[in-house]
Amino acid sequence: MSALIWLHEEALRASHPLFAASATPAKSVFIWDDAYMTAMGYGLKRRVFLYETLLELPVDIYAGDTLETLQTLATASQASQVFAGATPNPRLNAILDALPDTLKVTRVADEAFVDLPEPENLRRFFKYWNKAKKLAFQPNGRR
Amino acid sequence: METQPKTFTDRDALINHVRALSPSLSPDDVSVSDTRGGRQAGQNLLGKIDPIAYGHSRNYLGGAVSYLSPYIRHGIISLNEVRNFALEAAPEDEPIRPIEKFVQELAWRDFWQRVYQQNPDWIWQDVETYKTGFAPDDYSDTLPDDIETARTDCAAINHFITSLKTTGYLHNHARMYLAAYIVHWRRVKWQAGAHFFLAHLLDGDPASNNLSFQWVASTFSNKPYFFNLENLQKFAHPQAPCAEADNLALAGSYDQLAARLFPYGVSS
Repeated sequence: MSALIWLHEEALRASHPLFAASATPAKSVFIWDDAYMTAMGYGLKRRVFLYETLLELPVDIYAGDTLETLQTLATASQASQVFAGATPNPRLNAILDALPDTLKVTRVADEAFVDLPEPENLRRFFKYWNKAKKLAFQPNGRR
Repeated sequence: METQPKTFTDRDALINHVRALSPSLSPDDVSVSDTRGGRQAGQNLLGKIDPIAYGHSRNYLGGAVSYLSPYIRHGIISLNEVRNFALEAAPEDEPIRPIEKFVQELAWRDFWQRVYQQNPDWIWQDVETYKTGFAPDDYSDTLPDDIETARTDCAAINHFITSLKTTGYLHNHARMYLAAYIVHWRRVKWQAGAHFFLAHLLDGDPASNNLSFQWVASTFSNKPYFFNLENLQKFAHPQAPCAEADNLALAGSYDQLAARLFPYGVSS
């Protein structure tokens, strides 16, 4: 069985850990979803910027509804797993949550800015910064 | 399924293809930024960053900013890469202070993303009440046409709007000026301003953009952010037209402007 790498708009980098996450051969895809981009409020400027970025990436571009297209591609390539960049974006997470149970979904976090446990009740920047600054000036954000 | 092309004869051909793939775009949406997408373009900018000069000049519209934000926004360049690059610029005998402001600005992005992860509902809802003396219903739901078309009575504000719409970029200080003008001078809901910014900024991010708007509005901060003409003239001249005669609505001391903008008093 193979895997699909779903490269969404928040992980557009060939060195993203996403590309090293699959133990089996994986096909990388980006879905150009007009309705999604409209829901995100993206105008022509942003869309051109995104398409130009895709030209340099090892990814096949498909156009259509993201969820439907992902399912079609997974079926066609007999994929049992989907890898995607971890994101706080609820629209992208809803797509991953809606994939059928037959597809194992793995959200792969990007390299961290600071290797810091999630502080509770984030509200004011300087409470976060007082904890983060000990690591923020270290290479790779770690001691 | 058919794959989309990845080679084009020129940029116009790519733009035409993007438009063909985007039937929901308004026919009036015709602006394309000179800023190019792609990692190569981002790496070129990364090689030019000057974190030390940034620390001295970042509040000035002509300051040594990196222009990396669209690339960071879409993961084209990671925050970690930028920070590691900045560390190389620091003097060995003083590795933190000269680059502190630059790294702290990267941390703001990390902070907003963490807030977004914890509270995705905060992106479009008031996190707290306004501290402006006004209730949410006192603010308009829609952006006035003169803001949309850069025909307000403030030349500097019109300059920022035009830059936003044509380049997809605004200096952070200009964003704060324009956001404060929209919310406090024109009493428009921050959500309408946030939608406007997201439609045009190449780096527009729901967390950084909307939570910053809420910081300006005071629904995610202890007090409203506003500015006066003197501040604008200090930081935005000569990049923006700052003559008093062309920006009368912005003139006055902070006390005078507070009395005008927040006549019921600012709460905390």
